[in-house]
Amino acid sequence: MRTLTMTTFAILLAACSASTSQEPPAGALPDRPADTSSSAAEAPVPEATGTPDGRPGDPNPHIPGDMAASARVAEIRISPSPVVIARGEQTLVQGVLLDGSGTRVAGARWAVLVPNGLEVESIKDSVPDAYLFSGARPGRYEVPVSLPRVVGGAIEWNRIASFPVLVKDWPVARIDLEPMPYGAYAGSVFGLEARAITTRGTVHETAEVEWSSSDPEVVSVTRDGIATFRTSGDAVLTASAEGIDGSLAVRVQPNPVRSVELEASRSEVRTGDVVHLRTMVSGDANRRLTDVRVDYSISMVQGTPDGAEIFEDGTFVANAPGIYGVMATAGGRSATVILRAAPRDVRRPARLVGRGPVAHVTTSDLWVFEGRDGRDYAYTGTHAQGGGERMYAWDVTDPASPVLTDSVVVDARVVNDVKVSDDARWAVITREGASSRRNGIIVLDLADPAHPSVLAELTDSLTAGIHNVWINGDVVYAVNDGTSAMHIIDLANPAKPAHIGRWEVRPGEQDKTLHDVWARDGLAYLSYWDDGLIVLDVGAGLKGGTPRGPVFVSQYRYRTYQPEEYGNTHTAYRYGDYVFTGDEIFGCGDCVNGPRGYIHVIDVSDIENPMQVARYEVPEAGAHNIWVEDGLLYIAYYQGGLRVVDVSGELRGDLYRQGREVAWFQSTGSEGDAIVPNSPLAWGPQPHKGNVFVSDMNSGLWVVRIEPQTAPLAP
Amino acid sequence: MDRSALGRIFVFSIVAAGAGLLGANEAAALTSERSAIAASAPLAYPAAGLPARAASVSAAPDTLKPGARLPTARYWLFVANESSDLVSRVRFGPEGAALEDDIEVGIMPADLDGAHGVSVSPDGRHVYVSLAHGTPFGKLWSYRTADGVLTDSVTVGLFPATIGITPDGSLGFVVNFNLHGNPVPSSVSAVFLPEMVEVARIETCIKPHGSRVNHAGTLHYSVCAGDDHLVEISVERLEISRIVKLTPGSERVLAGPGEAAAPGGGADTPVCGPSWVVPSFDDRRVYVTCNRNGQVLELDAATLSVTRRFRTGKGPYNLAVSSDGRLLLATNKGDQSVSVFDLASGEELARVPTTRPITHGVVVSPDNRYAFVSNEAVGATRGTVDVIDLDSLEIVASTELHHQPGGIDLWRSEPLP
Repeated sequence: MRTLTMTTFAILLAACSASTSQEPPAGALPDRPADTSSSAAEAPVPEATGTPDGRPGDPNPHIPGDMAASARVAEIRISPSPVVIARGEQTLVQGVLLDGSGTRVAGARWAVLVPNGLEVESIKDSVPDAYLFSGARPGRYEVPVSLPRVVGGAIEWNRIASFPVLVKDWPVARIDLEPMPYGAYAGSVFGLEARAITTRGTVHETAEVEWSSSDPEVVSVTRDGIATFRTSGDAVLTASAEGIDGSLAVRVQPNPVRSVELEASRSEVRTGDVVHLRTMVSGDANRRLTDVRVDYSISMVQGTPDGAEIFEDGTFVANAPGIYGVMATAGGRSATVILRAAPRDVRRPARLVGRGPVAHVTTSDLWVFEGRDGRDYAYTGTHAQGGGERMYAWDVTDPASPVLTDSVVVDARVVNDVKVSDDARWAVITREGASSRRNGIIVLDLADPAHPSVLAELTDSLTAGIHNVWINGDVVYAVNDGTSAMHIIDLANPAKPAHIGRWEVRPGEQDKTLHDVWARDGLAYLSYWDDGLIVLDVGAGLKGGTPRGPVFVSQYRYRTYQPEEYGNTHTAYRYGDYVFTGDEIFGCGDCVNGPRGYIHVIDVSDIENPMQVARYEVPEAGAHNIWVEDGLLYIAYYQGGLRVVDVSGELRGDLYRQGREVAWFQSTGSEGDAIVPNSPLAWGPQPHKGNVFVSDMNSGLWVVRIEPQTAPLAP
Repeated sequence: MDRSALGRIFVFSIVAAGAGLLGANEAAALTSERSAIAASAPLAYPAAGLPARAASVSAAPDTLKPGARLPTARYWLFVANESSDLVSRVRFGPEGAALEDDIEVGIMPADLDGAHGVSVSPDGRHVYVSLAHGTPFGKLWSYRTADGVLTDSVTVGLFPATIGITPDGSLGFVVNFNLHGNPVPSSVSAVFLPEMVEVARIETCIKPHGSRVNHAGTLHYSVCAGDDHLVEISVERLEISRIVKLTPGSERVLAGPGEAAAPGGGADTPVCGPSWVVPSFDDRRVYVTCNRNGQVLELDAATLSVTRRFRTGKGPYNLAVSSDGRLLLATNKGDQSVSVFDLASGEELARVPTTRPITHGVVVSPDNRYAFVSNEAVGATRGTVDVIDLDSLEIVASTELHHQPGGIDLWRSEPLP
């Protein structure tokens, strides 16, 4: 058994079994320059006899060392410690390997694992036990260390500990201070903002800005910038990082507040209704004060504890019915209003109308439309399991009895997307997994919509496969899996599709993924995975864009935690002042029963400054495709089935908790009529003529009616 | 990462297609698939929340061709099914060829992760699988061969494809094919396999493909489908040592990456279109497929000059050399066959038709008695693995796998009593 002791700088090994590991003590690295010349931890140690580094004839010098020596290692000291690297520089990091008696072990095998974003090169063949760390991307990293052992004649590597590495951004050049958001009045408390700017003019990614006050008796400030204005007087607030300061002279005035009045836009509401509070702060002689910080809180609840939310801007929304006292406080004075929230009561029954079961292949997207012959059709794609080489055509004129009229077979293994032109004369289906590895799009002639036929294909520059498309008049926007660009295709003559342009975020860079595109009223909304939602002008008149020549308008990036951090912006749909985006997250820590991800509600009333205001998240399920119409949001929520959500009126907060869910239908197939029975996996929804059509990956086409309720929906 | 955390939630059995789902357009196209489905027993995949181990797959073994000589050993292979995200374990022996089991790969059931390349570690304990698609970068995954458990993974570049491994199993070289991206130089990722750490990413050329390390473990070879290059990398230095231009009539060793990137260094429109490279059994020769013009080139490994040309079928894609140095095999992707060459004479001994189109990978058994060939097939038709007897030069067994089987490697063999 190896001795287990802990020091600040050494990695100590637990009993070296495959199942045990010893994590190093947590803690942030001091933000100081890298020291590559010596190590505080590297005390002189006697040299022990060991196998020379590397073996004669070892065909690979990148893992030199001896297993027997590795077995003796009880402690690894990392030098320098902490490891701090300046961006763009390199630092030699060496391990000092010790046995249980503190004697140095030479020639042992050991390795570091390299987290994403860090660049490490082994130089053990020239410098014993050394790695060269490069500061390519600033950030804080935890680098695991592994030792090998022989198990059953084979080598197994075990992670035994880790050490922190800081890659510091470029040097700090200046500190930018934001203006104070409120007046400096005695008794006020609010946050201050400052940013460190690098010598390259970029926002510093690793520097921690620390605040201080020249006179805490007048105004005190926490390290992270929460200022408490205590009494009248003068003080200087300073934000510092890496020895660079930015200062703000403050003159604290006496508290001028004499009265606070509070009004609510409505006092009788339903859960989910947004109430705007208006606070009037007055000073002497009823003089209106507009620069005083106002704090809101829910001071009284009759009903469900934690049943309502109040936001910093004075917006209130109830999640649960109840009576809530909402208080506004400014300058030590306060006022309260009473708000009553009734149940939203929007529940409506969902009834199964009809089915088109698909039991031998997984189903992908759908499109429902009225054909040129006056009959209604649903087209559904097919996915890989079972062989996704076709698109099915269903006559759904009688939604209770969808009739499969035909299908189109193409050289593909996934027909992921199906879209029909506005005039229902042609359609586009996408291909992935073609045997020729030339995927692209297929244009279908819908002269006989019950029996669509292949009119044309376009594969040039689209060989990778097309995941999704959107039709905008006679222009098709195609999501190219290979370039992660939106390719623009002219279908003025559907028989001769032609490239007319392309648009991509961060041209020339590869680390991006475009997943979907949706357009209406001259704006295109691109779901760009970790780059978030991107809005383009394609004819709205905002930026001079045209359908053939998009121009960037705005971008909104966000992160979802499941529990790891994800971007994964998967789909988007504009309705009113909001864009509803959905995540698609597979393989996460919480993905025990399948995908995760939810709907983000992004306010685009100021299209150049999108901002998330609400969310809808079904616990333990993952959002997929969406549709919004007549105040209802339809979500194919994978294992959560079809969800219908009331998105009428203004939206704020947690829509799931607000009782806005109108209906829920589980598209669960049974043995014999589903490729996966008893397991809903809703892919796409589309309302059409009073019914909701849903494609379910595991079971095919479903037709559902959301029945009326006795009480009307909100106006 | 535990496989149970991967979030795959499918539980399904493939059953015969319902007649009600067939339309006029597809009747003929479906015939082959329906036959294929009918020929297979239902397949089962693990349920959500259940132990991650893939359920055993039972399929009727395709018996040995009557009159074929009996194998003296039993062989196991791994084959990647690119459009099913399954890695199949195939067995061949006196009873014929059979799909024994599948390992699920990938994390995106709603997308194709694209299991493309497969290589087994020299000690047989791990099988490495390249997943071509990601968001956007692909990964190299490592599984234990004994039980199919995922042990680790590492992110590499765009569309990782072929995997070459050093003889000691420490380094894996994965070509980042970037098949469908912008035509810019891509790279070869060098991965320290015991810890699945990418230790170097060596920029090479446009559309690098094929990846093999010589038997001495000193040199790595890959080719560039996009600019007609053969790239030799020093395993010790993890950097390019030589680049050869393969365009017919212009074959020569280039001065280095500088000349390769300069006008005339590459091919604006590839003529050779190399797709694979493999060293000879004694490391004295290197063989390269010219996928575009139907040739295999033989190069002297010392000078990297072209010494012989072998005319193949259409679209030669992958290569294998028997360990006795007698035979060279090339899969002809474009005409559903395998060319078998006698290396001493240069004669094409046979062009063996395969059971399904889009012939992809080939590997030769260690005893040089058999070659195993993967066939992708088209659309929903399942692909196959064919077993070619290298004496009779005919297919003696075949078994159906899933969709688009491609990467193939031999795991182990056991002599029969």
